[in-house]
Parts: sequence; C-alpha cells; structure tokens
Amino acid sequence: MSRNKQLMLLNRLVQAIPIMILATFLVFSLLQLVPGDIAITIAGENASEERIEQIREQYGLNQPFLVQYGNWLLNAVQGDFGESLLSGEPVLDTIARVFPNTLFIVVYGVLLSVIVGVPLGILASSRPNSRLDGTIMGVSSLGVAVPNFWLGMVLVSVFALGWNWFPATGFTAPSESLSSAIWFATLPAIALCTNGVAEVTRQLRSSLVEIHGSQYVRTLHAKGLSPAVILWKHGLKNVSVNLLTVISLLFNKALAATVVVETVFAIPGMGNTIVKAVLESDFPVVQGAVLAMVVTVILVNLLTDLLYTVLDPRIKQV
Amino acid sequence: MKNNDNPIVSEADGFTFRRREFLGMLTGVAAVAAMAGPSALMAKVRDNGGILRVGAAANPSSMDPATGGSGSDHIFLFPVFATLVEWEYDTLEPRPGLAESWEFPNPQTLVLNLREGVTFHDGTPLDADAVKFNLDRNRSDPRSNIRSDLASVESVEVTGDYQVTVHLKSPDTSLPLVLSDRAGMMVSPTALEKLGEDHDRNPVGAGPMKFVEWNDGDRIILERNPEFWDQERPLVDGITFRIITDSATRLRSVRSGQNDLAYHLDGRQKAMIERGGGVEGTYGPTVYCYQIYLNHASGPLSNVKVRQALNHAINREALVRASMRGAGEPAYMNLPSSHWAYDAEVAELYPHDPEKARKLLAEAGYPDGIELDMRGYNDQGSVQRQEIIMGMLADAGIRGRFTTGTISDMSAAYFARGEGDFLVSAWTGRPDPSLTYALLYAGDSYFNAGKVEPPEGLMEAIRESRSTDDLEQRKQAFSTIQRIVMENALVVPLAFREDIMASAPKVQNLRTNLLGKPKFENVYLQG
Amino acid sequence: MTSHAYAATPERVVKEDSLFRKFGQWCRHDKRGATSLVVLLLIIAIAVFAPWVAPYSPTEQDYSKILLEPSMAHWLGTDDLGRDVLSRLIHGASKSVYAAFLAVGVALLIGVPVGLLAGFLGGWVDAGISRVIDTLLSFPAIVLAVAVTGAMGIGLTNAMVSVGIVFSPHLARLIRARTLVVREELYVDAARCFGAPVSRILIRHVTPNAIQPVIVQCTLLLAVALLAEASLSFLGLGVQPPDPSWGQMLARAYMNMEIAPEQMYAPGLAIMVTALTFNTLGESLRVALDPTMKGL
Repeated sequence: MSRNKQLMLLNRLVQAIPIMILATFLVFSLLQLVPGDIAITIAGENASEERIEQIREQYGLNQPFLVQYGNWLLNAVQGDFGESLLSGEPVLDTIARVFPNTLFIVVYGVLLSVIVGVPLGILASSRPNSRLDGTIMGVSSLGVAVPNFWLGMVLVSVFALGWNWFPATGFTAPSESLSSAIWFATLPAIALCTNGVAEVTRQLRSSLVEIHGSQYVRTLHAKGLSPAVILWKHGLKNVSVNLLTVISLLFNKALAATVVVETVFAIPGMGNTIVKAVLESDFPVVQGAVLAMVVTVILVNLLTDLLYTVLDPRIKQV
Repeated sequence: MKNNDNPIVSEADGFTFRRREFLGMLTGVAAVAAMAGPSALMAKVRDNGGILRVGAAANPSSMDPATGGSGSDHIFLFPVFATLVEWEYDTLEPRPGLAESWEFPNPQTLVLNLREGVTFHDGTPLDADAVKFNLDRNRSDPRSNIRSDLASVESVEVTGDYQVTVHLKSPDTSLPLVLSDRAGMMVSPTALEKLGEDHDRNPVGAGPMKFVEWNDGDRIILERNPEFWDQERPLVDGITFRIITDSATRLRSVRSGQNDLAYHLDGRQKAMIERGGGVEGTYGPTVYCYQIYLNHASGPLSNVKVRQALNHAINREALVRASMRGAGEPAYMNLPSSHWAYDAEVAELYPHDPEKARKLLAEAGYPDGIELDMRGYNDQGSVQRQEIIMGMLADAGIRGRFTTGTISDMSAAYFARGEGDFLVSAWTGRPDPSLTYALLYAGDSYFNAGKVEPPEGLMEAIRESRSTDDLEQRKQAFSTIQRIVMENALVVPLAFREDIMASAPKVQNLRTNLLGKPKFENVYLQG
Repeated sequence: MTSHAYAATPERVVKEDSLFRKFGQWCRHDKRGATSLVVLLLIIAIAVFAPWVAPYSPTEQDYSKILLEPSMAHWLGTDDLGRDVLSRLIHGASKSVYAAFLAVGVALLIGVPVGLLAGFLGGWVDAGISRVIDTLLSFPAIVLAVAVTGAMGIGLTNAMVSVGIVFSPHLARLIRARTLVVREELYVDAARCFGAPVSRILIRHVTPNAIQPVIVQCTLLLAVALLAEASLSFLGLGVQPPDPSWGQMLARAYMNMEIAPEQMYAPGLAIMVTALTFNTLGESLRVALDPTMKGL
C-alpha cells in the first residue's frame, strides 16, 4: 500500500471520531425532548416523593445537562449504558443478545438484494429501453414504493399462514441452528430486500449503459470480443466500486427498516427492542440501542470508505 | 361450605375424594390424598415423567415472591414456592396448603397449624420459626412489595413447633386467602440469609419444583422436587419455560412442536386453536377484569346519574364479541359469575340502554351530553378497546378523546396525580374479594383516583365481610358491598378475561383457574 | 410553491403563460410524469373531499358487521369494529397525505435556512453545520423518528415533525451546495458591493437558483414521508384512533391477520400507489428541470 493510501486511511479514521462524539451527544439529547419531569416518569406507578428524589440522584438528573452528558459518555465508553428501567438487565447485555439477530437478517437481506439485483441490472442494461428493460425498471420502482412491513405481512399471510412453507414469526439464533435460522429469517429478509433489489438494479443498469456506450467498449466490441467477456472483464469490474457504495447504503437502510419488519415478524432484534422500549419509556434502552445502530452505520460507512480507497485504483491522491 | 359430604371427582385420575371440614375451615383433595399416600395410578403417571415445555408470556420481575411486583410472575413462583393456603381452581375457595388447618379463635386472631416434616429445597425445615420469619419479612422488610397485603397483622407468634398464631389489628378473615398468594409463599430463611438480594435470581422455596436456571428474557428451568409435601404432585420431571412475549408466536411455538403448552393467549388465537392443527384448547373464566376507573372527585362524573349513564351506555356483549372475539364474560360487577361471592341480582342493574343513558344525562343537567378527558394505554389491544368504548359512549352523548401512554406513565398520571376523568384499564383480581373492594374504593386507596370518601355503608360492609369466616355470611356481606358499589356506579366494569391455553395432545389434566394464573402441578404427559 | 414565489411579481402573466406552454410540452413529452401528476391530483382531491366521497362514516361502528368480506354494500368489506373499509381508506388518504406534506414542510423550514446559512457564511459556521449534517445523515432515519416521537410524545403531529427533523439535513446539504455555487456568482458580489443586506441577497438570488433541485428532492421525500407515516402509525406512534390512517389500518389488519388476511391489501396498495406516484413525479421533474439530464 502506498504512503498516500495509508495517510488517507488514517485521515478517514480520524474524521469518524468527531462524528461519533456528535452522535453520542445527539442520542443523549433525546432525553431532553421528554416533556415534564423525567424522574417522575422513571419512578412510575405509585412512587413516593423520596423515590423520585432518589432517582434524580441515581441518574444524576439534578446536575447540569453537560455534566450529565459527560458522565453518561464516560460510562458509555466503558460499555456501561445503564440498565433497563423495566427488567433491570444491563443495556449492553440486551444489545449483545439481540444485535446478532438483527445483523443476521440484515446481511441476509442485503445478500438477497445483490443476488437478485445484479442479474436484473445486467439483463436490463443489455437492451436499454426495450420492453424487458421497461418491465424490469417498472418492477424496481415498485420495489422502492412498497412499504416493507406491509410486504412482510403479505408474505406471512401467503407463505406462512396460507401455504405453511415458512414459519410466520419468531426467530432462531444462527448460533443455535444455522439451518433453522435461515428458515426463520427468509421471509423477513425478503421483506427487507425489495428496496435493495431496486437500488442495485438501477445503479447497475445505469453504470452498465454508460459503459456500453463508451468508446472503449465499442472498440473492444469491434475487436471481436464476445459481449459476455466484455461484460465480465470490463463492465462488472468497473461498476464494482459503485456497487460497493450502493451495498453500504442498502445495509444502512435495511438496518433502519428492521424497526418495523422485526415487529411484524416478532424477531427479538434491535428494531423490536427499540420500539418496545420507546412504547414503554425505557429510556436507557432507547439511548443504548439507537447509539448502537448509529455507531454501526458510521462503522459501515467507514469500512466502505476504506475498501473504496483500497479497491479503486483511481483514488490515489488525498 | 355447607355440604359436608360433597364428593368431587378429581379430573386427574378419576378417583373420588371426600371433602371434610375441620374447625370452621376447609380441607381439600390434597390433604386426604396425602394421608392416604400416592395411589398406584398416580405413581405410574408420575413415573412417565417427562419435561413440560411452556411458552411463557413474560420475563419475571423477580423470582422472590416478596420483592417482585408483576402479576405475570406467579406462573414461575407457584411451582417453586409452596403456599400456606391454596385455593380451589374453579371458585377460589380456600383449601389447605402448608397449613393443614387454621382457625379464628376470635376475629382478631388466626391460628395456623402447619404440616409436619416439610423441608425447603435446601433442606431447611419448614417449621413455625420459618413461617414467622417469612410473615415478618413480608410485612416489614423494606424491599418487600407486599407489606400492604399484611397490613392488618399486629404480630406473629410461634405457639408450637408447627403452630403459628397471627395477632391482628382488626378482624380480617380475608387473611387465609391472602396467604394463598405472594404473602403465603414460603422462602427458605437459610437461603435468604446466605444469598441476600441474590435470592431474587436464585430462589429457594418448598414448592413442587426446584429452581435450576434463569436466563434473562430467554428461559427458566425447573426440576421436580421429590420431597414435596404432597406426594400426588408434581407429575412431571421438570418444567422448561421459554419466554415468548408475543402471544401469536407463543401459540405457533406449540403448533411447531417447540413447546408443549402456551398460556395467556387472546381471543383471536382462540379462533385459531379451534381451527385445529394438532393443538388443543383449554379455556376458563378469570377474575381479571377490564374496567373503566372513574375519578368522581369533580366534574360531571361527581354526579351519580352521569356515572350510571356511563354504565348504561356500554354494550358489554358487543365489547366481548368485538375486542375479545367472544373469549370473555361481560362484567356487571367486580366478580365473575362463577365466583363464590357473585350476586346475580346486582348483575341486572345495568343493561345496555343508550336511551336511558341520555335520559340520565339530561336529568343530571346535561341535555346536550358531556365531554370527558379519557385516558388509556397505548398497546394495540387497549387502543382497540378504547375505540369501541368511544363509539359506544358517543351514542349516548358522551364525547371525548383518549390520551394514551405506557401503563406506568398513564397509571401514575391518573391514580397518583389525578389527571383525566377516567382510565380504561383492568383489575387483575385478588384471591379474596374484600381486598379488591378495599383497594378499589377506600377513601385513601391509591386506586381511588379522586380520593373520594366511599358511599355510606361500604366500608362497614367490607369490615363485616372480614369479621366472619363463614362463607355464607361472607357472601351476604359481599352482596351488600357489590350493591352499594354498583348502585353508586363507582366503576364501569367491562369484561372478564378468559384464560386461554393451547397445548399439545400429550399434555393431560391441564386446567385453568379463576385467578387466571395457571398452575401446572397436576399436569402430566402421555405418549 | 412556485406560484407563491412568483405571485407578487409584475411579470406574472408572461411567466405563467410560458410556464403553461412549457407544462403542455412536458405533458406530451413525459407521459409517465403526466400520468403520475394526474393520479396525485386525484388522490389529493379524494383526500380533500373525503367526507363527500366516502359512502359511510369512517368511525361508525356496527358490531353486527365485524370483519365482513367485500360485498355490494361494502366494496372493501368491514373492519374489526364493523366499519366500512373503503370509507376509512378514503378518510385515511387525507391523514396520510397531510402527514407527508407536514413532514416535508418541517424539513424545508429547518433545512433551507440552515443550508443557506452554512453555504453563505462559510468558515467555521459551515464546518460546524456540515459536521452535524453528516452525523444526522448517518442516523438511520426511521429509528431516529421512532426515538424522537417516543421522547416528544405519541401522536401524528409529533411523529411527522420528527420525520421532518430527520429529513432536514438532506435539504440543508442540497441548499448549502447550491448556495456555495451562487455565492461565487458575479451578481451576488455586485449586490454585496451595493451594500444589500445578507438576508436580501439570500432571498433574492439564492432561493430562486436552488428552488428546482429542492422541488425535486421534496417530491421524492414526500414518498419517503408517506412510508414513514405508515410505519410510525403501524407501530402505534402516529395517528391515534378513531381517526383512520393507512398505517393504522395496517396495524389493525396485522392484529387480525390470521382470521381476516384480506384486510391488509387495500391500505397497503394505497400506500404503495401513492408512494410510487410521488417517486415517478419526482424523477420526471428531475429530468424536466435539470437541463443536463435531458439527454438520458
């Protein structure tokens, strides 16, 4: 690796740090949006004045906002996000328990997007503006417009309740049984992937159409290379970097979509956890889980940037 | 109980037991059976053993009966902790547990006679000292959540190796049934001393099952206690609870064979169970009551006619049909029709009649109807009930919109801070009805949001119900209580929840109970 | 929005005339775009005139008609409380469309000034704002909306304001980029030299130049906002009963999925068609308004 590249990688890493810190600040500020005295809300049913005071003390709510934030950040950096107000389980344990499940369906969904989207994109680009192209692009615009949780419901209704091909809801951890995990995660992954299929198809099509039209490829064509070889050797290789960006974008979108999709499939994942915690005003869980998601997105973006730097020969200078 | 010789057939095995009466109290099936020793058939069933796999509705708040606070904990607590008193499944009448008999020599003294030779899972003897330790802990330990359950207790005295005398501040014959719940669950004093707060997660009791493992939000594993005082129970080698909070998923876990049994299902799932598919349904009424709490301190609801109008405006049959898919019982008072203290006459007071409701509103000075500040919870089931109620009230000229929030937020706002005119919620029920009435309507009670002094005669009648332990006399007292409550329309009862369980065909002798907190002590597996 | 911007100017007639002609050309040229515009106007008309279009009241309950299948009397059947599904769908349109516009409105209200400020002032203000924008963009949008709604309190307005807040960095970034370009233009320099106040320069010169991409972006955001409303109402954070919205209807259909699966189709399709309409229109506008895209 060239020195330039190393410098660039370092630069990217350093850039991520202020974003992370800002993200923690924004997540912590969420609590400030809660109307009224949060201590009373936390104390819950039948709470005495002393109990409320005790909670103020315990959560440091009687301190200035920035001090509260500082303390929280200090603990968070050490992996202490507090405990759930309802179950008393440490938030980090909750995240450790449910995050792998979410990761599993998201990765599965993104894989499906690529597996379905790449052939569709190639197919569409092979005859631009043909009827086939029109159909594929039409379907892909449906893929963007369909609410993924609704698609999830339709899938459950047809494939699980109707035909009994897949389980309707629930989840098996991949660590327990991979085959069972795949079986359970298939419908959720399909529900998550439609948007991705559409994005991959469109992106690939437009890049390929552009390449097909380029002087360079026309020359190759004239030299008698078969279209398949041209596509493989020059087309896909050139678009792979673009595709990488799309995939990281897809990952982030799918991660966000788990909020509703996991609820539909009753999957014990991050999205489900956040929704439940929000509905139960379990603030430490909301903060911890949202932060975990944001950090994941930032890390994925970072990783994409790094891969991008490594892969693309054109990016050499800072 | 008047019928001294009422033979009842235990569904477990087809044996006939006799119910007998000791000194003004009751014995049940188990006591007789215990004296007779395990029967041959029972032993055979038990030798089959097997592990019962249960889809559980919620992670427990604590496995210590004194420090936990959630009604959904009992499902785990009942197997691990034997109670001083037990109840009949169908009526909640008291029957002997660890206390093989009890009596009230005078209304302010309760004598408990304990079973001899019982030990906790850790080998600690369960004697009078252990019981005194538990009762004192439950009523005075700062970590105890059930201090108010034993508020009438003045002191606990050990009057024999196996006899405890409880001195009361005021007559309280509801106490035996109180001792069938958390307050009567006996914890090993040795274990508590050793573990301290860790006992919350490593419980040691004297129940039919021993605690093995609790993995938060995931599973709880119990194994058979071979030393349980009643050799007829339990009939399985162990219970494994898998915690699955979503009820539809719970049912599916039974259908897919992952679990043998799921409880606390709702009406929609009842419809699914009945469609077949290798799952059997077990249904039964419970004392769990959906109701509208009324804050009648001020505003239109301070007028009794308006409160009566509310009661006439609700079409309870339709509510049960629409929101519970028929799996419930319309509620016209705080007790369901199968309860021993039910009064059929009181149930006639409020037929659905929107016309009458409008007339009552007009008489109360609101010919154009009223507008109320309504409160409720934000889960889908609650929201649906609110929509139905809103529609029914609108037909009678009662308008308004709901403010919703989490159970803890809304309950705190309504009960503690007195916000809103009414709250659509539920009452989970108590083993003894006198607790229900005192907690709901006493002037200083948390659940009386307006802190309004109860109508004349109510508190007297509640005291009356506690001053005798004759069930017939108590029933009379409860009729008076219910009449006062409903004539004054202190509440709008809506519907009693039906307990709905689904099980695999191999699960035998599964029964619901009126408390709505299933016990699995008599369940066995076949095939 | 366009008509507003030009309403006060004297050249109105001329402009409108040419706009009108341009519009006619566009309709002939871009049939997809024109169709989506017609569909959108139809949906908006249905939303506005819902009380007159709907055959029944959307909130009238009838317990003798629970979960009926479609019939002549109830074209789309009845829901779990015996209400007419078609009427709820029609009334739901107004809530859903209103929600989408509300969210995008909030996003404009926050995003435009912030973007202008960052772009025009530059320096550390720009650096700071850009960092915040980058950070917010790395937040998974719907997750943030769920969390913000949870904190501010459940309800349609809060939910859509949250969504608007989450969208605003997209617009801010766009405006900032445009502003940077415009700032370097000669006429802005000239205006500054003449001592015109910054606010005036911003409004007079930057706004018209940035308006086109903003319109495109807003149309696309409307689709996302519509889907967000559906998601939040589905989770019980948005529209509160008895008001119907498409997401809320889906939540109820989900509850009854095992006994009445057909309940989920109408609201789901309505969401999809409307989102598709916004998307198609957005793409068409992008092509129509951006000269560099004409060739493609």
